[in-house]
Amino acid sequence: MHELLLFASVPSHQHHELLQQLAGLTAMQPRHRLERRLIFKAYRKPGLVNARGGTSREMQGADLVRLNKMLNGGMYYTQVVGPISGADFGSKPSSSGDLDATMSGTDETAGSSYDYDSQPWKLEFRDIPEAGTRSTITARLTASATLPKGDIVTPMSAWGYSFVTEYVVEGDAFIHNDIVIFLHRVLQYPVHGHEPHEPHEPHEPRRQMPSFRDLSPLERTGSYILQAAITVQDGSNQELMRTASQHLFGLREQLKTAVRLEHADRLSLDTRAK
Amino acid sequence: MTDHFSLPLRPVIEKRDSSDSLPGDIAQINAQWGSFRELNEVSLREKIEAEKDKDPWAEEDEGDKEAAELDSSERMDLLYKRRAEIIQFALQAHMETSFALDFVSLLLSKHNPRQAETSMSPFLKTAAPLGSLNSEIVNPPPRSDASLKDVKSVSRGWRLQNFNNAASKLLNAGSRLETEVVAETKYWDEVLAVKEKGWKICRLPREGQALGVQYGFLEATPIFRDRGLAALRRADDGRLVLDKGLIPRKAQGVRVRVKHKGHIAGCSKVYRPSQDAESIESRILQARDTLFEEELFHELIREARILGSQGVTTRQNLVQVPVCDEQEILLDLVDWDQDHAPEETASSERNVLADAIAHSIRILLTYAHRQNLHRRTQLPPPLAPKRRPVPEYQILRPIMAYLQHKSHIQWLESLLSDLRRVLESAGITCDFHATHFSSIGTLQPSNLIPKVEALARVFLAPFESTFSGTLATPQSSFRVRIRTNPAVPPFGTFYEIFVHLPQFPDVQPPSHIGLQDEVAAVITHFAMLDIASTISLHNPPNAQGVPGKTGRLSWEVAYPHHGELLAVDSTGQSKKMKVNLSREELTIHTYFSSRSETFTRPIVSRSSTLRIQTWRPDLKEPGPSLVEFVAQASQP
Repeated sequence: MHELLLFASVPSHQHHELLQQLAGLTAMQPRHRLERRLIFKAYRKPGLVNARGGTSREMQGADLVRLNKMLNGGMYYTQVVGPISGADFGSKPSSSGDLDATMSGTDETAGSSYDYDSQPWKLEFRDIPEAGTRSTITARLTASATLPKGDIVTPMSAWGYSFVTEYVVEGDAFIHNDIVIFLHRVLQYPVHGHEPHEPHEPHEPRRQMPSFRDLSPLERTGSYILQAAITVQDGSNQELMRTASQHLFGLREQLKTAVRLEHADRLSLDTRAK
Repeated sequence: MTDHFSLPLRPVIEKRDSSDSLPGDIAQINAQWGSFRELNEVSLREKIEAEKDKDPWAEEDEGDKEAAELDSSERMDLLYKRRAEIIQFALQAHMETSFALDFVSLLLSKHNPRQAETSMSPFLKTAAPLGSLNSEIVNPPPRSDASLKDVKSVSRGWRLQNFNNAASKLLNAGSRLETEVVAETKYWDEVLAVKEKGWKICRLPREGQALGVQYGFLEATPIFRDRGLAALRRADDGRLVLDKGLIPRKAQGVRVRVKHKGHIAGCSKVYRPSQDAESIESRILQARDTLFEEELFHELIREARILGSQGVTTRQNLVQVPVCDEQEILLDLVDWDQDHAPEETASSERNVLADAIAHSIRILLTYAHRQNLHRRTQLPPPLAPKRRPVPEYQILRPIMAYLQHKSHIQWLESLLSDLRRVLESAGITCDFHATHFSSIGTLQPSNLIPKVEALARVFLAPFESTFSGTLATPQSSFRVRIRTNPAVPPFGTFYEIFVHLPQFPDVQPPSHIGLQDEVAAVITHFAMLDIASTISLHNPPNAQGVPGKTGRLSWEVAYPHHGELLAVDSTGQSKKMKVNLSREELTIHTYFSSRSETFTRPIVSRSSTLRIQTWRPDLKEPGPSLVEFVAQASQP
């Protein structure tokens, strides 16, 4: 699959207004989305990876071949995405709102409703955007696959991926014909200030979600990213790719007075592991 | 004579040395002689002769004679002098014209520097800056008083006239603005009134200056969705005019008629436009309703086309849906203001049915709209060359399924109650219990979808009704499940029959039965089996319970599926009993039969002890009950 993208930066004071404008444009209410995103990095030499190991993926054979090729062909960072709900956050009745307590609350007595073991996951692979061909639009190869629920590090490390870090994406999605408009921002987990020697402590994903208020936006100003994406089944079909980019350009025209949708810097979306 | 001296200013034509060029010669000949036809040797010779005769210098001799008078040196001098004079004149003329040109150019350069610059001499350009020379009238000659007076009065007249014009224009503009303001106020008041009623007012997409009101349905098929927008135009007096474009003015709607046994028996209610039909609100409403009805009919036709296999037929403006043998539903799009009174009949029951169907199709279309919204807001699949086809809405299918299901339930209910009455007349107690549309009760609305949608969704799922009942034999029971599937194959109604007969544990009917006749046959057959086993069960307690009558026969079920029982008395003579059950009656024959004679014959004449008993629900005098009859038949 191919993905065509346009991005825009939305300052936080414009966020509410833009939500309303998008709701009017797409004639639908925003669909709030919260996602945990774990970043994995391929670490083994190509060839050692066996992607066929006991997965419960429901995939076509061609997809499997393609994924295999992706997994073995080069070293990439991949994302594992798990949808969560707002109730999953901070359901722990910790009396002290202290961050230290949040961390110590990882034991099972906290009574959290968030169940890490039944967390569904999806693997999302994104290639580095294509160079040059469409300079006004970001196009990249994508693939995604459903992963087993629960503990994801074990299967991922079996496929040669090591856990790097994780963050939360919060935003609202709109559907405009074939275009998915996602107005979102990246939230970081609270940094535990008491242990400066442990900047990002865990080498595995959290089993517990901190309170939503404790998450801090990656962008300090609180601005949002507007991402307009359209996926194309077959990226080699020029006709379809053209249609898709025309749809995106049409959206850009429609949103011209509100935001400026632009393609992203190619190297900033580089997913290759050096 | 010198005055007439002429100088050859024209260049001397050089004699071409390439004399032998043929094209040149041909051209010369053509010019000189006209045509080659006139050029022949004779004429040439004649000409040469003539030239010879003539003195070649005769003409020039005279000029030469005069010129010869001058001395050759003087002549040269004169020539040079004249030439010098000519050159001087020419130079002077040139200089004066260029001065004039420079002067005019410099003068013009004040007002038109770019153009004037091109005609200026380079010297002047460097010497004088552009536009440094101007001209104006100095000390004009004084005009006469009369002319001054004339000018004054003319200008005053002009001014007055212009003032008058300006004033009247301003006044006109003022009054026009006033009427405009009144009209605009009226227009905007009406627009606001429309907006306050809750209609969506927006700018027309193609015509940015005009306002529009949106009354269409966002989730409708695109052609109908795009028609749901009308411009709100202002008439000259400020009235609001609803400009619907090409939409027909007439209010239309889908009419449902029920045809029973070949004639129209019921018709849905006709919508009458409200009294204030001229108000803008009612016109918007009417436009919306008409749009909705047109879309409804469009979708009905679209769905009816795929239902051809189920007997639905379409005409240009008519959809015919068969319900059962005698009933048919007609759907058509009609103008509301037409008079439909003649077709209305007194059958209120069918009118109610038609009304119910009319309401259902509208509810189902709005449900389909909701489903469209639901589909539209899902994550889209990747763009592929093949577009997703828009499935036909389920409008007719649920209604057909419901009516079909209902008619099947009624049929089964009447069959079972007929059977029960037959059995009751024979003193056999049995009972059945029907759960109509049990599927509707079981579907619980979930929290994920709104209640209204959950309610409508129930009618799109397969319908299911169950009938359960007990039979005469203890512990035996039966259960019939009727399923009607509107959307996915296999279409139509199917019966599933489960029978629990302790005497015949391995007897089960086929799992899917589609035909009513077969169902009737199966159910009566099982009832008959049950009666046969009841008879066989009744005997032993009778025989043992009454010790004085030990000689009683004991019936055994011999051929259950033929309803035959056998009893052998002490003398070795066998007695046979045959049970016949149908929807109308229960008949039991008993007769003697020899053991060797396995197949039964109605041997009426052979025995006087033959008994026939028939039970019918409509018989006036109640006969003996089955138990009594069996008891009698069991007498040896």
